[in-house]
Amino acid sequence: MEFQAIHDRLKAQGAPGLLGFDEPRPANKKEKDPGRAGMPFVTVDHTQLVEFLRVCRDDDKLALDILVDLTASDPSADSEELWILIQLLSLKHRHRLAIKAPLPKAAATVASATAIYRAAQWHERECAEMYGITFEGNPDPRHILLPDDWEGYPLRKDYEFPREYHGISCE
Amino acid sequence: MTDTVGKSEVEQTPQDYKPSIRPEEQRTLPSGEKEFFFDVTTSDLEVNMGPQHPATHGVMRVLIRCDGELVTGAQAHLGYLHRCAEKIGENVEWLQYLPYTDRYDYLASMNNNLGYSLAVEALMPELEIPRRATLLRTICAELNRIASHLVAIGTYGLDIGAFTPFLYAFREREWIQALFEKICGARLTYSYIRIGGVFNDAPPGWLQEVGHFCDVFEEKWKEYHDLLAVNHVFVMRTANVGVIPKEMAIDFGLTGPMLRGSGVDFDLRRDMPYMAYGEAHEAGAFDVPLGEGKKGALGDCWDRFYVRMLEMKECIKLVRWCLEVIEDGPIIGDVPKVLKVPAGEAYVGIENPRGELGHYVHSDGGKVAVRCRVRGPSFVNLAVVEELMPGSLLADSVAIIGSTDIVIGETDR
Repeated sequence: MEFQAIHDRLKAQGAPGLLGFDEPRPANKKEKDPGRAGMPFVTVDHTQLVEFLRVCRDDDKLALDILVDLTASDPSADSEELWILIQLLSLKHRHRLAIKAPLPKAAATVASATAIYRAAQWHERECAEMYGITFEGNPDPRHILLPDDWEGYPLRKDYEFPREYHGISCE
Repeated sequence: MTDTVGKSEVEQTPQDYKPSIRPEEQRTLPSGEKEFFFDVTTSDLEVNMGPQHPATHGVMRVLIRCDGELVTGAQAHLGYLHRCAEKIGENVEWLQYLPYTDRYDYLASMNNNLGYSLAVEALMPELEIPRRATLLRTICAELNRIASHLVAIGTYGLDIGAFTPFLYAFREREWIQALFEKICGARLTYSYIRIGGVFNDAPPGWLQEVGHFCDVFEEKWKEYHDLLAVNHVFVMRTANVGVIPKEMAIDFGLTGPMLRGSGVDFDLRRDMPYMAYGEAHEAGAFDVPLGEGKKGALGDCWDRFYVRMLEMKECIKLVRWCLEVIEDGPIIGDVPKVLKVPAGEAYVGIENPRGELGHYVHSDGGKVAVRCRVRGPSFVNLAVVEELMPGSLLADSVAIIGSTDIVIGETDR
């Protein structure tokens, strides 16, 4: 299915938390035209993200059965919100869906998607240590790539590089 | 000192001595013969596999809990090779990041270059990629896939105890590396596929040598097949070990040979074609081999291994098709030296030798990315190991890790 058809299907199914969608400008226009480049995505309310994913996976027409990627992004240091970015893939229908779920930096907590896709578990662990997002219900919330005693969230835009680590100077 | 020794010898009376075989551990056989049996109890033991273990293919640690020979739990500890690739991506210019992509899956650098280039090109819809560049990209990506699979099968044999096939595999890999050295000057970290095309045209005679390699390789392929794939010891070690059922593979988000080894018919090159793969498939240039459970249960270690074996043959067919249709022409599109990528967001996934390599790039229209996410297939494929190991034998844990074909540079990035 094309992106627009997927969006319409989600709307028709009453997918919980669906806020809207964002499409790039057409390719044949001049670069100076307004609008962004790239791929389309749907925006989802982060409090209903897990229910939304369940619809994506279980609906026959969508059948988005593989969670390819789950990550986050910090658009800028001034931004009040972080984005959770999810890429889903359907083996049967051979289409993709990109999901963006903004959540406030001040209360960066979201329910874990591990119950729907087990692939989410390691992605969430990485996301948690890099962005300081708490995934409630993740069965194993330890650090995965960083040492256990690492302070701060390295991929946030306001992260300050540490001066030293265990007495080793990083200057 | 002599006093104490003498004293203890005296104090130890024969009554304190317990025979290692107690009478209750005896039984009489029907023949009248006495037989001993032991009721040995074992307790849980913690085994650290790695970080410096040859079978982990790099620096990774797997904490294994085992009861005797039986593994009862496994936990992977990553991050020993974490080099902050994503943070670097937010701090260097678009073109400067390309050499860093070489370094995550260092056995398939061409494919990494390709994945990143395609993702950035998705943000530049006006940029045209010349056809010769597309075909050179395809040839290099497929040759690199063969080289990567050769390492995968060679070291897999090595893990299990077969040393010779490893040397055979590296013999052909050496030739591929020599071919890459001729076209781009590097043997491992190529940075050959650039945003907009490729950076160097094939030198005179290079395409003919690739054709010659294809002819020779098909002969050599039979050697690996006879030496390793149908070797009785190898089959015994890998068949019915580490079985991943279809549902589990999908639930864990596995991709590439790991997914196809479980019999799921999906290949991004055929099903969501990019570059010239759609055209190649229509021309019948390649098929997608699947695990069939020939030697044991569907989705066991042997199936995953054999999918890689068969894929090498398909790569040769693809390279041959490219050599047929390639024509002279420009090799790179119009890309400025200081690249400003139009604002936007894109996720592009390509079929790497290990599965789907995804890049999510976000540009605000400047010289540096806002976000440069790398979805490495090894990272996702490794997660299934924690699930597969419990219930298997300790000796099989090496076979299971080897069959996932991970590259630590990619799990840790």
